[in-house]
Amino acid sequence: MAKASTSSAAASIQAKEVSKIYGHFAAIQNVSFTVRPNTVAAFLGPNGAGKSTTMKILTGYLAPTTGSVSLIGLDPSDPAQRIVLARRLGYLPENGPLYQDMTPRELLDFLGKVRGVSNLSAAIDRVASQCAIKSVFEKPIYKLSKGFRQRVGMAQALLHDPEVLILDEPTSGLDPLQIREVRALIRELGKTKTILLSTHILQEVEAVAQQVILINEGQLAYTGSLADLKKDSTIEQRFYDLCEGKKEVA
Amino acid sequence: MFALNPRVVGAIAGKELRSFLGNPTGYVFLTLFIATSAAAAFLDDGFFSRNLADLATLNRMMPALLVFFVPAITMNTWSEERRSGTDELLLTLPVHDGEVVLGKYLGALIVYTVGLLFSLTHIGVLAYLGEPDPGLMFSTYLGYWLLGALFVAVGMAGSMFASNATVAFILGALGCSGLVFSGAAPWSSGLVGVLLIAGVIALLFYVFTGLAQGAGLSALVGAAGALVLWFAMPEQFPGVFAGLSAPEHFASFGEGMVRLGDVVYFLGGAWATLVLCGLLLGRRHW
Repeated sequence: MAKASTSSAAASIQAKEVSKIYGHFAAIQNVSFTVRPNTVAAFLGPNGAGKSTTMKILTGYLAPTTGSVSLIGLDPSDPAQRIVLARRLGYLPENGPLYQDMTPRELLDFLGKVRGVSNLSAAIDRVASQCAIKSVFEKPIYKLSKGFRQRVGMAQALLHDPEVLILDEPTSGLDPLQIREVRALIRELGKTKTILLSTHILQEVEAVAQQVILINEGQLAYTGSLADLKKDSTIEQRFYDLCEGKKEVA
Repeated sequence: MFALNPRVVGAIAGKELRSFLGNPTGYVFLTLFIATSAAAAFLDDGFFSRNLADLATLNRMMPALLVFFVPAITMNTWSEERRSGTDELLLTLPVHDGEVVLGKYLGALIVYTVGLLFSLTHIGVLAYLGEPDPGLMFSTYLGYWLLGALFVAVGMAGSMFASNATVAFILGALGCSGLVFSGAAPWSSGLVGVLLIAGVIALLFYVFTGLAQGAGLSALVGAAGALVLWFAMPEQFPGVFAGLSAPEHFASFGEGMVRLGDVVYFLGGAWATLVLCGLLLGRRHW
């Protein structure tokens, strides 16, 4: 059995017995995990496993049907705490939805104003350099390639220098060079921030993560360190085994 | 309760305004609005035969014109966010649902106000042809603005139920036309009452259960119950809903009067509809 990643007191992100039920359909059921501060955790699972639903609950976009979540000690389902948390949380939703008629500069300016970012122009310059989007700064987002749009999405998530980052498939749609750059950026950010990134690409997990949370069909299948996961086998084989129903949760 | 942050509300309103005016459709709307309202004001035979420098002919048509023009402004407010997925980005920012609703409402209301300001050229035409009464013109335009303020809220509520702009337009137009036709005749008041009761019951069912499939059935049950009430009280039932008539509350403004009850009707109706929008937006947390 893999060990639990951390005690709840030291956790940056904690989910306790979280379920989300739509009518008769359970998107996720009794999912529990913790992520330590300054850790890159990969949220792994096949398509439709419930990764995005869990992330929406962590960001406060959705409320859990049962169970509770906490990020840096704040409960996103509490309206007042969600506001405080949102100031310290960066979120890249699935498929990087952005206002297509805006340019990256206008988008960052709008989001920075709503977030109340101090010294906004310096913050915009910082994330533009970090995410390498200066060359397309004045182009409408609908004219950008998928890769640039994803980078603009990353830039908006980093604009307010958050402590916790939740990234839903951050390398989706990127070319191999861009994937490499984004992974390097995530590794660098992971030194000072807690990052939970969802993916179904196993190489990505090996490239950036220290911890793995695997869910399958809405249920937790594994939570523990990457090293423990691939101790006696390859990550591909363990992924296959765990998704076939061999649950291993500390 | 929470304090609304004017910076947040202003930023969201600015985004809405920019999105509408940054699009050629916005200018087509403004041009069409001015052209059709001018046609309604001055091309009616009654305008010259009355020999009065007022906008009485436009006043009769204005509620019906707004049934089409206001939903064209509001149709994208929520449907486009939902279609493109940006609602997730917006609603995970450090903002209260109320600030988002108010920001979007103000953005759409400013667009409508801009359209109305351009239509002030009608007063110029009246001044060229005669001597319009400034007090009457003020109350008439205040009435137009209040009518639009209510319809913008209703159109926005319609947009919350759809992720397709056309459907959002139709829902918004249906909501606004209910307010226009509720006082036209007893049968139309009764019909609006039946539809309103069915809609409220479906909405309550959806809000409290989250089951969209059952909402249709509950609407039918509500409509059946309302029809029974109508047949049991053939005069009282339509009478209750005739009071919702927007043209009736607007009429006094066109005659140069500003009645507190009418102002409360328009602003209170807009406020109640925005509260409903806030509740629908908060539904995702339940």
